[in-house]
Order: sequence, then C-alpha cells, then structure tokens
Amino acid sequence: MKRSFVPILLSLLLPLAACAPSPNPSTSSSGDSAAVQPFVTGAIPDQDPEKLQRLYGKLADYLSQELGVPVEYKPVTDYTAAVTAFKVGDLDMVWFGGLTGVQARLQVPGAEAIAQRDIDADFHSVFIANTASGLQPFNDINGLQALKGRTFTFGSESSTSGRLMPQYFLEQAGVTLQDFKGEVGFSQNHDATIKLVEAGTYEVGVLNEQVWKKRSEAGEVDLNKVAVIWRTPAYYDYHWVINPQVKERYGEDFVDKVKSALLKLDPAVPEQREILELFGAGRFIETQNSNYSQIEQIGRQIGKIQ
Amino acid sequence: MTRRHRAGRSHPEPATTNATADSKSALPLFELRQVSHRFGHHLVLDRLNLQIYPGERVAIVGASGAGKSTLLRLLNGTLTPSEGDVWALGQNLGRLSGARLRRVQRQIGTIYQQFHLVDSLAVIHNVNAGQLGRWPIWRAVLSLLVPQQVETAAQALQRVGIPEKLYARTDQLSGGQQQRVAIARVLVQDPLVILADEPVASLDPERSHEVMALLCELVQEGGKTLVVTLHLEELARRYCDRIVGLKAGRIHFDGPADTITPEQMANLYRGQE
Amino acid sequence: MALDGRAEIPRPAFWTPQRRWLLAASGAVLLSLLGTGLFRQALFNPGGIPQLWSFLQASLQPDLSPEFLQLTGRATLTTLAYACCGTLLSVLAGLVGGVLTAEVWWQSVWPRQQTKVHVLINGTRALLVIPRAIHELIWGLFFVNIFGLDPLVAILGIAIPYGAIVAKVFAEIIDETPRQPLQALLNSGVLPLAAFCYTLLPQAFLDLLSYTFYRFECSIRSATVLGIIGAGGLGYEILLSLQSLRYSQLWTLFYALFLLNGLVDAMSALLRHRLGSPTRLDLNLKRRSTQAPISSISPTSTSVVPSIVPATRESVSLWSWLQRWLWRHSLRLAQLGLLVLIPFSFWYVQADFSKLVAPRTVRLLGEVARAALPPRLNGSPDQLVTLSLQTLAMSILAIAIAGLGGMLLSFPAAHNFFLPGGILSGPREPQMRRVAAWLGFGLTRNVLLICRAIPAPIWALVALFVLFPGILPGAIALGIHNLGILGRLMAEVTENLDRRPLLALKAQGSPGVLIWLYGVLPLTLTRFLAYSLYRWEVCMRETVIVGLVGAGGLGRLLTEQLSSFDYAGVLVTLGCLMLLTLGVDGISRRARQALR
Repeated sequence: MKRSFVPILLSLLLPLAACAPSPNPSTSSSGDSAAVQPFVTGAIPDQDPEKLQRLYGKLADYLSQELGVPVEYKPVTDYTAAVTAFKVGDLDMVWFGGLTGVQARLQVPGAEAIAQRDIDADFHSVFIANTASGLQPFNDINGLQALKGRTFTFGSESSTSGRLMPQYFLEQAGVTLQDFKGEVGFSQNHDATIKLVEAGTYEVGVLNEQVWKKRSEAGEVDLNKVAVIWRTPAYYDYHWVINPQVKERYGEDFVDKVKSALLKLDPAVPEQREILELFGAGRFIETQNSNYSQIEQIGRQIGKIQ
Repeated sequence: MTRRHRAGRSHPEPATTNATADSKSALPLFELRQVSHRFGHHLVLDRLNLQIYPGERVAIVGASGAGKSTLLRLLNGTLTPSEGDVWALGQNLGRLSGARLRRVQRQIGTIYQQFHLVDSLAVIHNVNAGQLGRWPIWRAVLSLLVPQQVETAAQALQRVGIPEKLYARTDQLSGGQQQRVAIARVLVQDPLVILADEPVASLDPERSHEVMALLCELVQEGGKTLVVTLHLEELARRYCDRIVGLKAGRIHFDGPADTITPEQMANLYRGQE
Repeated sequence: MALDGRAEIPRPAFWTPQRRWLLAASGAVLLSLLGTGLFRQALFNPGGIPQLWSFLQASLQPDLSPEFLQLTGRATLTTLAYACCGTLLSVLAGLVGGVLTAEVWWQSVWPRQQTKVHVLINGTRALLVIPRAIHELIWGLFFVNIFGLDPLVAILGIAIPYGAIVAKVFAEIIDETPRQPLQALLNSGVLPLAAFCYTLLPQAFLDLLSYTFYRFECSIRSATVLGIIGAGGLGYEILLSLQSLRYSQLWTLFYALFLLNGLVDAMSALLRHRLGSPTRLDLNLKRRSTQAPISSISPTSTSVVPSIVPATRESVSLWSWLQRWLWRHSLRLAQLGLLVLIPFSFWYVQADFSKLVAPRTVRLLGEVARAALPPRLNGSPDQLVTLSLQTLAMSILAIAIAGLGGMLLSFPAAHNFFLPGGILSGPREPQMRRVAAWLGFGLTRNVLLICRAIPAPIWALVALFVLFPGILPGAIALGIHNLGILGRLMAEVTENLDRRPLLALKAQGSPGVLIWLYGVLPLTLTRFLAYSLYRWEVCMRETVIVGLVGAGGLGRLLTEQLSSFDYAGVLVTLGCLMLLTLGVDGISRRARQALR
C-alpha cells in the first residue's frame, strides 16, 4: 500500500511541471501574424447579473466582429476583485458602477470612461420602507430625517446607487449612520434589499430605481408590504471604462473604435437589441471622466476613495 | 409451533425476586433447549441442551472457537440464538424485549476478559454503573456530578481489595486492578448469577488465582450462581463444582468436576486445527 | 479496619480542571449572548416567514432545463478541479511545514539545545497563525492584486491557509507518533531527514493520509466560496443566482453541491476504512495505546456504507456484491482516480504557475506593500476593540451552536447507534422502531450534509429573513454550517467507539439512556469538545464572510476597507484577526490538554 502511494504522489507533481512553461499572455507583444492577444472585457452589473454573466458570449462576439480582434469576457462578480483586475491590467474594459469606475480610473492613470446607457445620465435611487413601519412617502430631502431611529440597509458597500449616493443624500439631510437603530446593514445586492425590507428585517432600505421598477412591474414585490418613500435626485452611474494599455496593443485609435462599436448598438437589430437588453439599456451614449467628479468627491468624503 | 407450546407452560411469575436465590430449587436458573447459533454461514453452537441450577459453580471449558463466549452471550441475553430457546430465570429470553428483557438482565452480572470498563470515567462511576438498573435517571445523572451511594461502592472496592482506587481514573489502573473494578461493579449490581467470560485470561498466573478465589468467595457468600468460561483445566477443577466441555459447538462432556478424567479433558483440545 | 480504609479517601474537589473549563465556556457563551442583545430586543421576525417559505419551496422546483444543467455540470467540475489542485499543494506545503514545526524535528536536529528548540518551535508555530487567521476569500483578493485574474488565485487561496492548517495538524500527528524507532536511527548517526523518512513519516503515514482526505472534503467547500472572486465554479454560479434571487436555479446548484460533497465524503470514508484508519482527524485520542484493536474491519462486520433495509433477495445479493466489489477494488480505483483526477484538474484549471515568479508579480507585490505600509487605521482604537469583541462573541456563539447541535445530531447519524444491531437498539425491536431508526439515520445524515454543503453566506441570508440583524443571525449561519462538519466528525467518533463497555452495560440491563450516559458520553464527550475547540478557530476566520448580517464585527470593517482599497487599514484589521486567532488557538490548546 505504502509503496504504491509514493510513486503516485510523485507522478502528481508532473502536471505542475507541465503547466509551468505555458506562455504568459501579458508579456507577449502584439505580433504580426502571430495570435493576437485578446481584448478582455468584464462587467460587474448590479441587476440580473446572472443573465449578463451567463450570456456574455453575445457581447464578446459582437465586439470581436466589430473590432477585428479576439474578445474575451472574464466573469467577476466581486467589485473589489474587478477593480483590482482592471488595475493590474487583466481586464481591458469593464462595465463599472459610478463609484467603482472612479476607483478603477484613479488606480490606472489614463483610463477613460467612454460610454454609458441612456438611463445612466439620469439615474436615481429609491428609498423603500416596510409598510408596517408607518413611514409615509415624502418629496423633500429633509423628509429623510424621519428615518432616524429606524433600522436601515444599504446594498453593496461599493454600489453607487445602493450606498454611495444614498449616504450622500442622507448626510445632506443631516442624518448620519449612527442615527439609525442598530448597525446599518449591507445586504450585498438590490434584490436582497427588497426582500429584507419586505420581510421587515430592516424597516427601510435603498436601491437602484431601475431594479425596483423592473421587480415591481414583474409583480415580484408585495406592494402591500413595501413601498417607495423617496426618489433621490439624479446622478451619473454605470459606464464602460477602458484601460489605456489597449492603445499600445491595438493602435492609438482603438479606444475610439470600441466607443463607436458600443454607441452603434442598434435596438432595431434583433441581435443587438438582445445585448442592449442584457444591460437594461435602450442605447449606449457617450460619457466622459468629468461626469463623475461629483461621485469622486462624495467618495472621498465618506472614505470610499482614499 | 413448538415455541407456542413452550410459551404455554411458561413459569407463573418472573423470577426477579430473590426467592429462589438460596435454595437449590428444582427449577433450573438457565435452560438451553436445542440451541444453535450461526454467524453468517458459520455454525458456532450446534443443538445445545443445558441446564444450570441455582448455587452451582459451572466451568465451561474448551478450545478457543468452541463457542464458549457465544454461549455466555446467549445466557445474558445480548445475543438471541438462531434456533432453539434460551430460558433464564423462568423467562424465554428470545421472547422478551425492552424493559422486560432488562428486568431479567439485572439479575445476571457479567465479567469479561477485557474488563469492558469505561476508561475515561473514575472508578466510582464504573462501579456505580452496577446500580444503573435500579437508579432513576435523575439520580444517575446527578451521580456523574456528585457521586451517589459512595458507601456501597467503597464497600465493594474494599471487598475486591482496592479501596484506595475509589476516585482514580480507570485507565490508570493495571489490568488486575481493572478486573477487580469490574467485579466490584457486579457486586454492586448484586445479581442472582454471575457470568464470567475468561475473567483471568488477561492476567498473570498469580493474579489469576487471586481473582478466581475472589469470585468464588463472593459467589459463595452471596449464595449466587457462577458460570465461568476458562481455558485452563487446573482453574476449572480447583474453583468449580461442575465442568462442561464444549467442542466445536457441542457439549463434549458435562459432570461434577471430580468425575471428569484427564483423558476427557485432553480429548477436548485434540483434533483442532 | 474496613471502615478505616475508606475513611482515608478524601472525595476529590468538585471543581476539577475540566469542570472549571466548562464553567468558563458557559460563561463565555452567556456573555456573548448578552452581547447580542438577546434579552433586550425582539429577535425573531415573523414577517420574513413568507420569504423563507418561498426560498424553501423552490427546493421542490429546481431549474432542470438542459442549458442550466449543463452549466451546473461544468461548474461542479470546476469546483472539483480547484479543490483538487488546492489540496495537493496544501498537503505538500503542509508536509514541509509540519516537519518544520514538529518538536521532534528540532529535537533531532539540535538534541542538546532545549531553549533554542523551544524558541524555534514557538516562533514557527506563531508564524503559521498568519496564514491561518486570514480567510480563503481574503487571500484570494490579495492574490488578485499580485497575480491578476488567474486560476492561480483560487488555488493559492486554498493552498496557503490550508497549507498552514495541514502543517499544524501534521506537526501534532508527527509529535504524537512513538519515537523509539527514530531514536534508534538517530543514535546510529543517521541524518535527521533520512531518519524521519524511514521512521516517523511511514509510521504516521495512515494518519497523514486520512487527514489529507478530510482536507479534500474541506477544499470542496472552500473552492465553492472562492468561486465568487472569479474562479468560477459552483460558488460563482450560486452568487449570480443569489444576486437576482433566482431560487430555483439556486436549488439546482445546491443539489449539485450536496451531490459533490456527499460523494467526496463517502469516497473518503470508504478509502479510510479500507486503509484501516477510520477517523478523519484523531484528536485527544491517546494514540496507539496498548489496548487491543477495537474491531477488525471487514465488509461483513462493519460495512462502511450501511446496507439498506433489504427489500428482495436479489437486491440484497446485488447490493452486497457491489459492496464487496467496491471494497476489494477501492484502493486500485482510488489510485487510478487520483492518477486521472489530478493531472486533469491542473489541465482543466489552466493556472499559470509562471506568474509566481513573473516580474509583474514582483512589481505588483511592491505596489501592494507600498499601499499597505505602514499600517494605519482610519478611526479610533476603541472601535477596533468593540469590533474584535463582536467577532469573538460571534465565533463563540457559532461554535457553541455547532458543537451542541453537532453532538445531538451525531448520535442518530452514527450507523452503530439506533440502527438495528446498534448500541442503543434491542435484540428484537418492533418493525416500527426499526423503520423509525432508519428514517432518523437517513434524515440526520442528510441534514448534516445540507448544513455543511451550503456555504455560510447563504445561511446568513436565510437566517436574516426570520431574524433581526445583529450578531446572532451571523452566529447562527456559521453555527449551522459548522454543525454539519462537526456532526459528521462526531458521528465518526461514535462509529469507532469501543463497543465492549457498552455491551457490558447493556448486558446488565441498563436502559438506553443510561448506557448513553455512563458509556457513550464519557467515551465521546472529551473528543467532541476537542473537535469543537479545534473548529472554533475556523469559525473565527469565517466571521469575515457573513458580514451582511448587520453586525459583522471585524469582518464588516474588513469588507469596507477592502472595497475602499484602504490596504493600510486592512493590515490593521488583519492584525486584530491574527491576535484573536492566536488567542483562540492558545485557549483551545490548553482546554484540550485539560480535557485529555
């Protein structure tokens, strides 16, 4: 028994050796006729991520066709991991949220925000409350003061619509996180926020308006138990951010090519509409770094950007 | 069909009282009727008939594999025979279960070659385990925290000669001492009959004699019955009044110790692979 | 005379060291409970029952569409492959680390320098706390920083902390192996390494191998969690489905997890029995005592896979034939399986091991180091103390739930307990009770499997549906997950019990409860407690991943710092976690010694 196990253990080491000499893609430059290094995209969407992540092939195919380079989609679901991967250069272009996009650009000099959805220029969050809490809808930001002494949950720590902007508006209204009952929750995603407020675990929560609309229209929310009490003012949110290293790799005009490929997506063409729907977009429109300076400022204010 | 017949003439009252303990009554304490036992396809006991009466000291001898231990396990009800009936204290063990079986088993104390003590408990708890048949549960629980009936346990240990080990941990005792703890447990249990399965096989000759003498003394003092399996002829002759020879699952001889000839004994171990 | 002799024996003090430890433990649990605000505010949230119900209901309607099943299959394979690679590397690392942290090793190298040996051992052991204190997921995030998105991240995420755990256990195993043969070789001038290879390592081989199997089971669970940061596999798919609350998909993935965990556990149990080392992890067992072996193991006497109630004669013979066939060929099959599985895993995962030494890695490591050094905390030290106490309270409650629950469930889950022929079953039980025993057995085993297969963050969400946020839902989530692991380990302890004392109690007519109280419990309790203490450290580490429950202690802070890329702060928090782990390790070690 013992004797036969030793050679096996040794043979287990072989694959390690076999794996080692595989070429390192990040160091090889774009050769002439040699295999072109793929353009790697990723996304950390915050609504229907399972759909997007599992059907990403469609976007990759489209881009590959438009750009003439192989396109790879790498799945990441963790915000921090995605920003870090963008920073170290393993992701060339990522679909970021407002805050994560800024975090990513700040760590990669020269990175550019190139496109956003039509709805992202006018994005909103909604505060929702369990009806048993007795909280009534209000229109003025100062109405947020009614939330003092209630239990409250954000979505994910890094979410712009589920955390950053709501926290900013709360502070504008003079409500600090210590004013809530117990500790503020982080449900990790918008759907969980709905469910936890619906369950009454938290009396109040805040989330992306787009997700709220979609879920309530689909009848997946029990509107007798949970209702919107306030809609925030508009702000910029999701956008595509591209790494400047692609210019070295595929040429100076590559960023513009990607941009136009994204903007060109036409809801009238069935396959392209499918892609747009995955992102919950009517169209992609232009955006620029300066659109996110408010987010950067708030991010610094509440400590999400160091 | 035979079973039903026998059940029909079952003894009127369960022999859990001490009424029959002293006098050698006409009713056997144990009775085996055509008992066979198999483990898988292996026949260990083959149509055994045997009666053991109150007050007897019976040695069961035979080579290893002759079925001695199986016989004892049938007698104390931990095993039910493949065929035939085992009657103990007037009850057909095979037809009892649950509480009724346990009531009979309380009158049967067993001592084992490997002592079968709970190593990680203090001696007192192992001795008190003999009380478990009598104690209500709350008392048994309490005793693990605050030992109960210490006096009884101490007396029993005194009787077996290791009074100083009362609170020692069992796994720190020597083999001979552990066997004494096991005997003390049986003493506390105070059964009508003591079964001993190779009680001295793990001990050196001197310790063996001490333990056997102790066992016999206790049995005689309390007017109990002893059934002991042994593999040493000498011990059997010296400490028992009746010897049953088992060979390949059958009774080879059965009689008073002084009538068993050395030839019979020798025969018992012959022809074994 | 007789009375004099007795009078001299003083009754030992009521407060034995064991009882003191027990009292301290109860006190700690009570304090932790107080810390959760248990007695001050409502805990149970009945409003969440419909949500819980719809979650549970989906278990009956898993998504069985062909595309999703295909996806599930691929994900399962990925998780298995990662677990396989991670285990292999961690065992190799653990073997080296284990020898280097074993007392006997340094004593062999420097036989004359006791103080030096002590310093070295304590030093290396303290060093091993660093990788152990940090959760796999945090390791994974760190590795993303220096390796980027590479499968290597997940493999090392498992291999580094596991390597340290394996090293700790291997060191303990090696230290408890009899040393006479080693001494004999050393005395004849053999070099320590060679002497080790010829004595202690082969002597301890079975235990080491056994533990390796157990580690593999754990790796499956870690690989699942690690999927989240991009490694893919079941954890990744579960997170995606969870984020949009697709319960039916979630359940398909859960079933895959049950299957994977169950199969790996069963295979490991079969192999360990076949090799004659039936315990996964020998804790607090006086090793290789002089006692006779408990039982010879053969397929007929103690079947590893307990045979199902026979229905027909044919099915019995087929089943037993299959059992015997598996038994006889299990080793060869396992060798074959390993030979296929391991190269396959490395090929499938496609990790780029050259990145380990690539210049980019070094550069990125430098960047991380610059960002993290010097450690700096945004906030007051008071806050850190409060959060540390919260984490401690959560881990204590979690292990209390896991330990107690595991003990309770372990008995019906042991195949030698209530089942026919078991410790607590009479010779002729009525049919009803036998059926009940089998049902109870199947049920508890499956409950344990479900508990351990579903990752703790999922349990946290489930707990949060019906409990108000706080430490308690987190503790319950961790408790449930670890209960599944402990319950299985404990059932194994019961299954390997020395039956003889129990049969003796049974033969004298003790009722079942008392056999359990005077026989089973004394023989198992100390080892149960040892397992729980051992697992406490794991609970501590895992508090980091149930942060969504609203009072995550250090875990909550860590998530916030990580998502703000505040590496200097991360370092401070990790330092706290390490200190806590070091403390927990020390307390657990002492308590285990007292329990021996």
